[in-house]
Amino acid sequence: MNALTTMMLLPILGTLLLAVIPNDQVLRIKQAALATTLLVAASGVLAWFNFNAADTSFQFVQSVEWIPSFGINYAVGVDGLSLVLILMSVLLAPIVVLAGWNESEGGRWSTKVFYMLILVLETMMIGVFAATDVFLFYVIFEAMLIPVYFLIGGYGSGDRAAAAVKFLLYSLFGGLLMLASIIGLYVISGANGGHTFDINKLSELHNYMSSTTQNLLFLGFFIAFAIKAPLWPLHTWLPDAASSATPGTSVLLLGVLDKVGTFGMIRFCLTLFPDASKTFTPIIITLAVISIIYGAFLAIGATDIKRLIAYTSISHFGFITMGIFAMTTQGHSGATLYMFNHGFSTAALFIVAGWMAARRGSSTIADFGGLQRVTPVMAWSFFIAGMSSLALPGLSSFVSEFLVLVGTFTRYPVAAIIATFGIVLAALYILIPVQKALHGPTTPGNENLPDLNFREKIAIAPVMAIIIALGFYPAPLLNVINPASAHVLEVQGFTDPTPSEGAGK
Amino acid sequence: MTTSTSLAYLIALPLAGAVILLLAGRRADKWGHLFATALCASSFGVGLYQLSQMMAAAPEERAFSQKLFSWISVGTFNVDAGLLLDQLSICFVLLITGVGTLIHIYSISYMSHDPDRRRFFAYLNLFIAAMLLLVLGDSYLNLYVGWEGVGLASYLLIGFWNQKPAYATASKKAFVMNRIGDMGLSFAIMIAFATLGTVSFSGVKEASESASTAALTGIGIMLLVAAAGKSAQFPLQAWLGDAMAGPTPVSALIHAATMVTAGVYLITRSNFIFDAAPTAQLLVVIVGAVTLIFGALVGTAKDDIKKALAASTMSQIGYMILAAGLGPAGYAFAIMHLLTHGFFKAGMFLGAGSVMHGMNDQVNMRRYGALRKFMPITFATFGLGYLAIIGVPPFAGFYSKDAIIETAFNAGGIKGILLGSTALLGAAITAFYMTRVMVLTFTSPKRWEEDQHPHESPILMWLPMAVLAVGSVTTGYLFTRGDGLVHWLEPVFGEYGEHEEFLPAIVVSGLAITAVVIGVAIALVKYQFSEVDAKAPENVTEFTLIARKDLFQDSLNEALFMRPGQALTRLLVKGDHSVVDGAVRLVGRTALSAGSELRKTQTGFARSYAALILIGAVALIAAIWVVTQ
Amino acid sequence: MEFIAPSLNYAQLAPILIVLAGALAGVLIEAFAPRASRYSSQLFVALFSLVASFAALVRVRTQTSVDAAMGSVAFDGVGVLLQGSILIIAVLSIFLIADQESFTALAASVPGSEEERDAVQSDLRVTEVFPLTLFAVAGMLLFPVASDLITLFVALEVLSLPLYLMAGLSRRRRLASQEAALKYFLLGAFSSAFFLLGIAYLFGYSGSITLAGIQASVIGGAGNDVFLLLGIAFISIGLLFKVGAVPFHAWSPDVYQGAPTAITGFMAAATKVAAFGAILRIFYVSFANAEWQWKPAMVVIAIITMVFGSVVAIAQRDVKRMLAYSSIAHAGFLLAGVIALSKTGLEASIFYLFAYGVATVGAFGIVTLVRDASGEVGDLNRWSGLGKRAPLLASAFAFFLLAFAGIPLTSGFIGKFSIFSAAYESGSTSILIAGVLSSAVAAFFYIRVIVLMFFKDPIEDGTSVVIPSALTTITITVSSVLTLILGIYPAPLIDFIATTATFIR
Repeated sequence: MNALTTMMLLPILGTLLLAVIPNDQVLRIKQAALATTLLVAASGVLAWFNFNAADTSFQFVQSVEWIPSFGINYAVGVDGLSLVLILMSVLLAPIVVLAGWNESEGGRWSTKVFYMLILVLETMMIGVFAATDVFLFYVIFEAMLIPVYFLIGGYGSGDRAAAAVKFLLYSLFGGLLMLASIIGLYVISGANGGHTFDINKLSELHNYMSSTTQNLLFLGFFIAFAIKAPLWPLHTWLPDAASSATPGTSVLLLGVLDKVGTFGMIRFCLTLFPDASKTFTPIIITLAVISIIYGAFLAIGATDIKRLIAYTSISHFGFITMGIFAMTTQGHSGATLYMFNHGFSTAALFIVAGWMAARRGSSTIADFGGLQRVTPVMAWSFFIAGMSSLALPGLSSFVSEFLVLVGTFTRYPVAAIIATFGIVLAALYILIPVQKALHGPTTPGNENLPDLNFREKIAIAPVMAIIIALGFYPAPLLNVINPASAHVLEVQGFTDPTPSEGAGK
Repeated sequence: MTTSTSLAYLIALPLAGAVILLLAGRRADKWGHLFATALCASSFGVGLYQLSQMMAAAPEERAFSQKLFSWISVGTFNVDAGLLLDQLSICFVLLITGVGTLIHIYSISYMSHDPDRRRFFAYLNLFIAAMLLLVLGDSYLNLYVGWEGVGLASYLLIGFWNQKPAYATASKKAFVMNRIGDMGLSFAIMIAFATLGTVSFSGVKEASESASTAALTGIGIMLLVAAAGKSAQFPLQAWLGDAMAGPTPVSALIHAATMVTAGVYLITRSNFIFDAAPTAQLLVVIVGAVTLIFGALVGTAKDDIKKALAASTMSQIGYMILAAGLGPAGYAFAIMHLLTHGFFKAGMFLGAGSVMHGMNDQVNMRRYGALRKFMPITFATFGLGYLAIIGVPPFAGFYSKDAIIETAFNAGGIKGILLGSTALLGAAITAFYMTRVMVLTFTSPKRWEEDQHPHESPILMWLPMAVLAVGSVTTGYLFTRGDGLVHWLEPVFGEYGEHEEFLPAIVVSGLAITAVVIGVAIALVKYQFSEVDAKAPENVTEFTLIARKDLFQDSLNEALFMRPGQALTRLLVKGDHSVVDGAVRLVGRTALSAGSELRKTQTGFARSYAALILIGAVALIAAIWVVTQ
Repeated sequence: MEFIAPSLNYAQLAPILIVLAGALAGVLIEAFAPRASRYSSQLFVALFSLVASFAALVRVRTQTSVDAAMGSVAFDGVGVLLQGSILIIAVLSIFLIADQESFTALAASVPGSEEERDAVQSDLRVTEVFPLTLFAVAGMLLFPVASDLITLFVALEVLSLPLYLMAGLSRRRRLASQEAALKYFLLGAFSSAFFLLGIAYLFGYSGSITLAGIQASVIGGAGNDVFLLLGIAFISIGLLFKVGAVPFHAWSPDVYQGAPTAITGFMAAATKVAAFGAILRIFYVSFANAEWQWKPAMVVIAIITMVFGSVVAIAQRDVKRMLAYSSIAHAGFLLAGVIALSKTGLEASIFYLFAYGVATVGAFGIVTLVRDASGEVGDLNRWSGLGKRAPLLASAFAFFLLAFAGIPLTSGFIGKFSIFSAAYESGSTSILIAGVLSSAVAAFFYIRVIVLMFFKDPIEDGTSVVIPSALTTITITVSSVLTLILGIYPAPLIDFIATTATFIR
């Protein structure tokens, strides 16, 4: 059986399993959910090792007719890019389940429903990256909004309903624009050798489009992805959603779902509309740089720890987008690696912030203080996650961030220079909360907050391990990413700028 | 280049110490400090072993390299996790691990009452590891890792007592200002890759020979920014004074002997760039000259003994940067002064710590006095360091500083005269403020309350001081004997052949000593032979006030960056809600109101509905008509 | 001149005739059967005739002929598909109608009168609704297959008159109900007048009343174009009125709200299928070659309809009115299929009609169940917390709403995709863009209802969800299952439509 299809089926089976467990056996339900996600993670790792990095075509491909008269297939397959993101998703899932062991309580519905939603979402997370049929991708892209919508609105905190609606409407709007573009593609493909949604066939299609058509279709896709990823000025849904959702949901939202945006930019915007991509690159790079600086400033100004993390992500997605459209191997590989690393550093930040908020009963930074002495392990976890977020050398994010910067500099020096100021702002937006929450005298009310318990330590340990390990030895990922991103650029007809001086070696 | 397999141990040992102590937690409280010290010492041992290897090898085979693994490799951007130990880095390795070990020992006793002593030693080890990586990395990117690593360690150590909000702020300030410097380093690396296509020292060196001055100047200036950030040089100097919030051993190790000198390392290491980029080089000299005066002036007005020493550090590093900016003539002397300074300044900081130890952590020199009787050893070691720093022959400082002043004059022309006289002036002021420290602390009449019971520190503390004192006395002579150090470093910095002297060496030395004498004399008159009151006098000259305010460095930064930044942040936060999100909400509201407006067409009267149909009919016919015609 | 006996193909007319027979039987039952047995026998007759008619349809599904009734009825694939859809929807609606709770006891009695009270006490039932429904169904079956204008008009009246009556049968708010019925009747008559006028002009133009004849002269281009365009305009008005296209929509919100919900569902679903069936036939067969004359105007109407329906729906507070406006918007989407004027457009429209009809009946079925002491609760605010009261029903309703919104994995999405791609393929980009944007607006109010049901707490005001009768349950279940299947695996139906849907002239 196809590796990807299996990975997508497992969570569904898990959902069915949960369905038969009685509502009141909460522990059983949680264990079943955890077991399922662990199983999926295992199969993900297995796929990772069976993957042949040298081969840039899709692997583990499977294609089954779905709606033949529209030329729609259930077609899946992965290249280095999607494999990395799938691996990230399936690794994050069990961590989220374990870390948020109790976050389903206080929800509108039962724990069972919560984990069923999570598992359904996991299936879609795998599928959205694995889909090689644009229609299938779109279906999952839209459908996965629904479980998230209910996860935010049903189990979140604060004004969760409003946040959920804002999230859904924003995403639906983008999705509908993309639908228009997809219909456009479908029709054009029909006019040139038969209706199809096969990404490989569609990537030839741009030769038959007028530049106007191509630009419009590109925009349809790009705006949808720019809302997902979120790029300034389409970002305002993210802080609300991320701060209202449960920590676990936020991790999946920022860590995985938003990556669909940046992933889509590479897989669809660049591959399907190379010329339009070139046309819009200057604008997009500008928006990306704005996001970097803007997100950083808003993070500095944030008073709520969860919103702060959300804003840092806006800044980080700016880096990723910039790296993608820099159109250099360093930029591309850096951006892809950045997606992976951001997944884990944000996960760490959000998970720990969630624990802090749960213990304190508030996520206002000012309510914390002196945690380093009250709850050292929790404080350290937050600190390391923060250091990774500000891209401290030796931690994973540094490699990706620096690759993006270097890769951008060789083609768009000005953008790279402005973006680099982001690293100073990053120092501020991380160290300010660190000082307010972890340092200083212990604020009254925090004296006897409990430190991380065993389960929480187990949950956060692998994240920390990955953050540190990949900082020193990113090769395993880069070896898979490099051929893929090189391939994309090759198809795009881009070659890295050669050193302007001397005999570079 | 000889390949070695044992360089990694230098870093691995202290790194392991840090990791183990941090993970072990309270369990390691009993033995943590000893463990850390042992690891640091063994790293020093490895250093000595490497030195012996190097001595044994022929001068051109003295550069050892070790490739661990390929770190980052994307397209043409290939960076190995590689180490390089040559004549330059060995100096640093020994300084870092040697002085580091002494300070570990000192801290065992100094921190004995602190509940978090283990954590302190973990940080120290972390620092040693990062600093070694900084000087051993074989490419700018590897250096960058160590560069920010020491920044992190210094952040953690400055904020070691971060339960005091002021200290937490100080540590944050240090990190952020360092990041500005680091940004410079990133730029340098990006330019290097974009223009030269490589970021390894050897690669850049090779490519620089055929590269345009413009590119190299760009790289050079950016490296200077980086150096200024790390080494607290103008205009990024403001953090060093506050950094004294850290425990005194930290000030001694990081903010005197090693980390703050990283900038000097960076510039001398990049000699091949600066030699080919005169503009950048000139800027280096200027920064050095400005800072050495700046620091000296600040030093004259400080009553906090540690801040006074910090200011002096800033000024002394100014000397080194100045020297490094003088090209092949100066590199070696910059390093020499760096090493001697490492000894005497570390020694004096430990002395200051010892004084504080005896005075219940009192740091205000106006509340000291007459401590000579109570802490003879501290007095002796501190005194030797003092003689060294003000440059009294034959103490270490004399040799190194004198050499720099001489080279400055020899720079030639107006430039030479300006630089030389600046250096001389600096020497005079140094003599003044150091004498002031000495006098206020040890020799002037006592100004402390009766409840103070000054006492000499235990052996674990004074032994390292003693060792460093020996260093402050002898090193200068040792390094200069037969131009030993200069020749030792020649493979790195290149030959510096015969050159005409602006003034004969003996004259320069004479001038220098005169300057020192003047400085000392004024200080003695002002503080030894006249009444000093226990609290800083208000009715003082404008100049003193300004100097006390660190020449307005902080107010300047606040006015230029902090407040505008905060204002901008507030503005954006407001704008994000009202403008960006506002626009989105407006769309929603518009749709809603449009709905309720159009809804009004639904009057409920059949007649109006019929009318609507009629209108529709007319419109439809009209439309079709128009199209048809 | 001698008299030619009409030659009728009874097999092909059987579906219509059976339903008519059933209707007549129903009338007889009303007249002679004892009151006690009326309800059950009526229900039986109705169901039987519908099923029998469906069976008859299946038997002749492959036959096609222009002269099923001397050239007045064209029996072809499109006809089969539409008649089939109408019958299926009719069966589902009959189940709802069978739940007599929402009908008045005695239609003839004056609201609030003594007479009415007696009727209620003696538990009278308006069993005449069954024959009325059957008459309407018969008309609907004839409408899309009528191939001359006279038959078309007859069919129009046959389907309309019963609906006018049925609209007035509501048990509660009888005055509103009767007002609605009257309005519907008046305006219906008004539009019928236009329709007749149109017939006259077309006859004047072509000298023929058969669609084929008109087509011939349109191609020949002999006649007076002014007559043609007036004819097209007036005919269109009559038909657009039935489907509730702007500006001929005004009746629908009032009628939808006033009529008994079961009837509303029936009207919304079945009438649309029939009316669009007729529109498709006329425009595809007769006016196709005059495309350039009517298309621009039709495009404008379609766009106005979509946008108006979606925008005004936002402001609705009553669930039935909201659904009314949503159905207006859908009429707009369906017009896109007419404008496409292509095979794909035809197929898309048929699929859309069926999918939408089924979902609509299901949705209204659920509306009948939300009641308080005084009957159904239309006020949306009182629907809040429905998810807590009746999770299953609320989920089903949410699912139907998502289908209306065109979210993937529902039939609505497939319909929307196919109809828009057909429209775009035929070159009307404006339709595509307008459709996408109004869908975005529409999503807003569908989601608002979901928020009310799931994310708001119930208000204790006696609003409750009654246990659905077996028949209602069947309707709701079947509709939801169909909606789901058509969303996940529509291929069989699409292919069937593709192979079947052809007009014969």
